[in-house]
Amino acid sequence: MTSVDILENLNKKLSDIQEKIASGDINLLDLELVPFFNELKNSLDVINLEKSSNTYKNACDILNQKFEELKNFLGSLNTEKKFVEYLKRNPSETEIFELLCDCWIEPFNIQGLSMDFLQSSRDRLLKGKSSSKIIEHLDKIKSKKIFILEVQKQKFTEKMINFYNQIQSKLPCNFEDVFEDDEKQELIYENFIYLLHLLQAGKIKYQKETNTLYI
Amino acid sequence: MILKVNELSVLMHLLSNKKGLCQIGATKKEIFQLLNIKDKNKNIYFQNLLINLSKYLEPVGLQVRFNPIDSRWFISYDLELSGALSVNPFNDKPKLAATLFTCLVCCLQNNGIGELSEIKTLRNKKDILTDLKELEEMGFIQINKDQGFVRLTPLIGYQLDLEHLFVKLALKLKDKKDD
Repeated sequence: MTSVDILENLNKKLSDIQEKIASGDINLLDLELVPFFNELKNSLDVINLEKSSNTYKNACDILNQKFEELKNFLGSLNTEKKFVEYLKRNPSETEIFELLCDCWIEPFNIQGLSMDFLQSSRDRLLKGKSSSKIIEHLDKIKSKKIFILEVQKQKFTEKMINFYNQIQSKLPCNFEDVFEDDEKQELIYENFIYLLHLLQAGKIKYQKETNTLYI
Repeated sequence: MILKVNELSVLMHLLSNKKGLCQIGATKKEIFQLLNIKDKNKNIYFQNLLINLSKYLEPVGLQVRFNPIDSRWFISYDLELSGALSVNPFNDKPKLAATLFTCLVCCLQNNGIGELSEIKTLRNKKDILTDLKELEEMGFIQINKDQGFVRLTPLIGYQLDLEHLFVKLALKLKDKKDD
């Protein structure tokens, strides 16, 4: 059911109620309006906001009538005398028992909830509370340069295996000989790292006394 | 915010504090003193505090209530939860419930004091003294045999939803009248 349908349904209910009140078929004091207002609240939608407002206004009119009825009713009660009259009718014990039946309430008290307990709970709560983090926005700077995050084309292991394949034919040889073709210092560092990993993996071995690398 | 939470905690403590069988909660004056509420709009502030506390308590089935007999505010389980907890102190004792109701009506009529003779007449029983003694033991009334009256203790205001009872009775009387 769409919200429009629900609203139409509510309007129909409302006009029925108004008719029944006028004809005296409904006692306003017995009329339960909470479910009606809940339904109205749930049917609220941007599309039918104006219509809902009218329905709400009409429902509030009925609510006001109910308050008036209650006021009149309470005003007409001469409570104490009526209670005495009721007792003079000699109601049975069971009848009085049933009258009281759903009126009993249980007070709520927890003795453990002392001021000291509350105070220590509050202190604990404040102690554990760290200062809130501040999120700051970064300043945007316009730049004409195109920034590209460069990612290496080959994985580290692939590069290491390539280096291994390159030097495999030279082995056994002196330690320095494996770097003889490397002209750039950066390349020597890079290859040195691969060599360390290959030594650690046991693919290449090194004899310290003779300064020789071998397989 | 911290102050507000703390105020509600203190209020919660005050309203759920039990000092003996017949004294629960706190009076408005006590709440003003303990929360140090002094400004000229203190009544509105007090009302807002109670409304806020009620909103916190409602989802867990608790209510803020007022006991008209000793003018103390207190917290109770709501009627539905109280019903589920079977808190009726007169289960299997309709005789006692009827006598207490008669005392209540007589005391209401006469500024909190019910004459023994009137209770006896309205109750329409020869011997009501045993019931009254039992009610006194339960803490609901105080009997003054010498002067021939009973007085309600505040206990009934903590255990019976008087407002609900009056509305129920009024509706019952209205229905009988309509019949």
